[in-house]
Amino acid sequence: MPDVYAPLQIKEGELIMDADRMVLNAYDASAVEEALVLKEKHGGEVEVVCIGPAKASETIRKALAMGADKATHIIASGDEEYDSASYAKILSAFFKDKEYDVIGLGKQSQDTDSGLTGSMVAEHLSLPYTTNAVGLEVENGNLVVKRQGDSGQEMIELPTPCAVTCSNDMNDPRIPNLKGIMASKRKPIDQVEISSLGIDETELQADTKVTSYEEKPARQAGKKYEGEAEEVAREVAQLLDTEANVL
Amino acid sequence: MSTILTYIAISDGKLKRSSLEVLSHCKSLADAAGASCEAVVIDANASSFIEGIQKYGASKVHVVEDPIFKNHMNTPLLKALSKVMSSINPSVFAFASTEGTKDVLGALAANQNAAVIADVASFKLIDGGVTAKRPVMAAKIMNNTEAKSDKVLVSVRSGSYDLNESPESAEVVNIDFSMDDSEMKSTLREIISASGDTIDLNEAEAIVAAGRGVKDEDGKALISELASVLKAGIGASRALTESGVYDPSLQIGQTGKVVSPQLYIAVGISGAIQHVAGMANSKVIVAINKDPDAPIFEVADYGIVGDLYKVLPPFIEEIKKIKS
Ligand SMILES: Cc1cc2nc3c(=O)[nH]c(=O)nc-3n(C[C@H](O)[C@H](O)[C@H](O)COP(=O)(O)OP(=O)(O)OC[C@H]3O[C@@H](n4cnc5c(N)ncnc54)[C@H](O)[C@@H]3O)c2cc1C
Ligand SMILES: Nc1ncnc2c1ncn2[C@@H]1O[C@H](COP(=O)(O)O)[C@@H](O)[C@H]1O
Repeated sequence: MPDVYAPLQIKEGELIMDADRMVLNAYDASAVEEALVLKEKHGGEVEVVCIGPAKASETIRKALAMGADKATHIIASGDEEYDSASYAKILSAFFKDKEYDVIGLGKQSQDTDSGLTGSMVAEHLSLPYTTNAVGLEVENGNLVVKRQGDSGQEMIELPTPCAVTCSNDMNDPRIPNLKGIMASKRKPIDQVEISSLGIDETELQADTKVTSYEEKPARQAGKKYEGEAEEVAREVAQLLDTEANVL
Repeated sequence: MSTILTYIAISDGKLKRSSLEVLSHCKSLADAAGASCEAVVIDANASSFIEGIQKYGASKVHVVEDPIFKNHMNTPLLKALSKVMSSINPSVFAFASTEGTKDVLGALAANQNAAVIADVASFKLIDGGVTAKRPVMAAKIMNNTEAKSDKVLVSVRSGSYDLNESPESAEVVNIDFSMDDSEMKSTLREIISASGDTIDLNEAEAIVAAGRGVKDEDGKALISELASVLKAGIGASRALTESGVYDPSLQIGQTGKVVSPQLYIAVGISGAIQHVAGMANSKVIVAINKDPDAPIFEVADYGIVGDLYKVLPPFIEEIKKIKS
């Protein structure tokens, strides 16, 4: 996805930013990290899948450099106007006849915060799933997920195969070291065309469309009170009562 | 006549105010469009909430009551929502954007072949669908997103709309529901709740939020005292939920909760974009930080530059005086 920290500009409703700055979504980095931890504990293989234009291969390398074993790059031209539903359909078509224990996804894309793809994939594939995972364990072949709910955390046990969407509160993704980066260059990236996945491409047409971008109504920075702590503290408390009316 | 349906979320045995905000908005949209405004509540004690919902102007309240809904689990919730959608066939189905909603929204859209726009700041009807404003790029900017479909799901950030009472003696429709154990795809083993009576941050009128500047028990005690004087909820930055100083449920921001209280006091929080994404819609923002260049001051109405350990005691004392 595009780097949310890259400088951006809006011109006549269009978003202009450096399209070459593609990064691994932070929530997906957490999903990769957790997969690697599970592999270290329980064995198995970690495979990453990404739908994206040619330049997404750098992002895929990053996951391989972290330690994933292999990758599939589902090639998109970059001109399609896909939404979460389109990506979910492509991913589901890809996974349909594959064998896997767990499909790990990010809980949301950092740029759009949609948070839809994971449960869509689970529904298409009729998989047990949970979202917003902050911890994963394997017990007796089942995945035990700690999920951050509205108030407390829920411990949920899922039989495999299953899907789980990951929060970045789960872990600190490792930074690839030189050895990992070198090794990643030798790891296979399987390239797949969307047309080979047996989906009716009209099905991929997005139901939702971004029509324009705009600035957020800006918040005016207010006043800064500097000086003797006791004095400014009392002054601001007074103002919250008399000026802001919030006490 | 088309139907605009609102899902009324129940959390910890209470009506979620954020879903009543959504219902208030849907009522005005329905009135303007000549559509029917209806609501659905799904809970172990669903019928006990009917009266509370009726105040907000739905013409029908659909009720799904079953013990299985005592705790949030996505399999039964999804089954109930799918059944409700298939039978009511709403043109728009609106939700408050809670963690419970986020858990099922995509799956429901896939199941019902509906278009979906998640986590919007506002939405309205257009010819053949819905258009919404969404914060994107870590809430730095907004986009306009259109969904053209005869079935659109939309989830709305809390605090986006005001509550608006418009009593109507809504008709109550009970919807049958049953679920076999064999249909359950996963098992809820236990719920780990934050200790004590915490205030729901989505509904709090005031929030005191602590960041890494709050370093020890003394700092936490000051935060608790300020919160108690203001009857405020306590929130935290990721720095403090990650390190276990505060419960993860209290995290505010892009990963955590999006809040919009009347008063937000950020104590020892730098103001990273991911934190600001969750609190920039608060009405009045106060920041206490010893670094005069901290980015939090760019969004604060009142910025106090100083050491929180020195600022908070007189600040609390003064507020106590004002309150008494
Ligand atoms: C994808 C993603 C999602 C994220 N989601 C969230 C989220 O939901 N919520 C969130 O909060 N963060 C989130 N973050 C993390 C975010 O980027 C910051 O790291 C985090 O908000 C920092 O927390 P902080 O302000 O408490 O700590 P710091 O940035 O370390 O700031 C501490 C501040 O305290 C001040 N200070 C220190 N001592 C004192 C004192 N004695 N008196 C007064 N001031 C003092 C310092 O001047 C400093 O400004 C996310 C990051 C990513 C990548
Ligand atoms: N193009 C894609 N390729 C691979 N995974 C994706 C893609 N788009 C979305 N996902 C997955 O779906 C998650 C949530 O996406 P979203 O619905 O956009 O918030 C992401 O964190 C990814 O794990």
